[in-house]
Order: sequence, then C-alpha cells, then structure tokens
Amino acid sequence: MLEKAQDEFPLTIRPWASMAQELGISEKEVMERLDVLVERGVIRKIGPSLDPKRVGLRASTLIAMKVPENRIENVANMVSKYKEVSHCYQREHDYNLWFTLAAHNQIELEKTLEEIRLGANIPESNVLNLPSTRVFKIDVRFQLT
Amino acid sequence: MDNIDFEILLALQDGIPLEREPYSTVATRLAITPDEVLERLKRLREEKVIRKFGLFLRKNTAGVVANAMVVWEVPSNRVQEVAEYLSKFREVTHCYERRTTAKWRYNVYTVIHGAERKIVSEFVNKLAKAVEIEDYLILFSVSEFVRRSTGRVER
Repeated sequence: MLEKAQDEFPLTIRPWASMAQELGISEKEVMERLDVLVERGVIRKIGPSLDPKRVGLRASTLIAMKVPENRIENVANMVSKYKEVSHCYQREHDYNLWFTLAAHNQIELEKTLEEIRLGANIPESNVLNLPSTRVFKIDVRFQLT
Repeated sequence: MDNIDFEILLALQDGIPLEREPYSTVATRLAITPDEVLERLKRLREEKVIRKFGLFLRKNTAGVVANAMVVWEVPSNRVQEVAEYLSKFREVTHCYERRTTAKWRYNVYTVIHGAERKIVSEFVNKLAKAVEIEDYLILFSVSEFVRRSTGRVER
C-alpha cells in the first residue's frame, strides 16, 4: 500500500476506495490502516508537495551553526518554529546544527537568518551560509524493501 | 495559479483529511464541486506547481535509520564528474554543489541513507576510493527537529 501510494496516488473523489480496489481490500480497511500509520508517525502527510520556486520562494540556503552543547535543544526548538525552516538536524560535528531556510527573496532570507542568529545568540563567525550553486539530484523516494 | 488554486493549496498543503471524500469540505467552502477541486489539483500537478501528490513517509520510522550528510572537497574542474557519479547511487538521495567559504572548503554535498551507520560509513569509504577524493566528512544526524515541505503558500 505504501509503495503504491508514494508514487501513484489516485487523484479521485474517493482515493481510499480507489486504493482499496487496487489492493483487493475494503475502503474501510484502507482508511483504518492509513489512520494507524499516521498515528504511529510512519506517514508524515498525505497530500501535495509544492515546488518552492513556483510558489514564490526564490531564495533558499543551508545554514550550519556551532551551538554550545548545553543550548542545542533550546536553539533547535527556536529555529524549528520558523515556517521558513523545512529541515533541521543536529549532526555530529563542531557545526552541530544544520537547517534549511527558504524565503521570497534574498533580502527576506538574510533578515530571517539574522533574526535567528541573534535569537540564538551565535556569533557570525560560528555560522556558515551555504546556498546551492548547482543541483545534481533531489529524490526522496524511499525504497521500502 | 488563481485565487481558488491558492485557497485549495492553502487548505490541503499540510495534508488531505482521512475522510471518504477528502475534497468535499474545501469544495463546499469555496462554492465549487469536488470534481473541480480535483481538476485544479491535476492541472497544478501537470504545471509542476505541485511536485508530487501522495504519501510522504517519516523516514526514521519506515525502516531507514542512518541519515548522513557527506561533504566533499572536490577540485572545481572535477565537480560535475564526481557529482554525477555519486548521484547514480540510489543510497544518495540528494546531491548539491554549494558555496564555500575561506575556512570551509567542502563544495559537494550528498545526503545518504542507510540501515545503520556502519553500512553508511563503508559505503562512503568505497565511494571516496572510486572518485579518488580524500577530503570528505561524514556528518551523521543525531536528532531530526524539523522535516516538512519547503514549498508552502501563506496568506
């Protein structure tokens, strides 16, 4: 069910009924199974993902910060509240907090970054701003088997 | 994208409801039919405003465990060759060239997923030998704080 629905989700009035038909089970069972998977956190979302450039988000970057270990959780939670942040990870390195920022334009992006940096109380010298210059691959389909 | 498209995306971008007819609520609110909602979604997908419509999994609970960002220092005249080679592997889910700074010279970034760290490390070491790059760092993730769609509409 997950394999099929990742790639070929049916855009129909009753998508769960469509999936049920493909799988040979009832619509109710499809909905119950999906409900469990959403509840357990296996499924993050069922719906559309939008191309940021097509919805006006023209500036984006990857940021790395050196955050003192005793503050990393607080800073990460603060960063996570920004809707401009889509990915935020703690990683094993001196630069231990990595997050992506998207904005409508460069000015907006830099304003948000500065606000985050000041809010986190991190000196500029402990921040890396790493915009992409070329994209070679962007594919997040996870093989389940 | 017109105003109705915008409203549909605003309503559904965080997920469609697990109801038998998921598009009925937004259709009623916008005074259109569910069929029209679907037609608009299909068109937006054709126009590639919608990159993908379907299920999005949370990778750390779907059996894929080790997430590593590997950053490589690649001579600029070899970036295309090396990046294209690394991108061939299905374990490499993303590959970007990024700006460098005076002190941070890594220019090629790959995100690699694997079942466990040891497997990822071995895999990366093999890649490094194959592309003859010695300067690289494997940055394993310790915690995931945020993972959501980059593209969003806001009022």
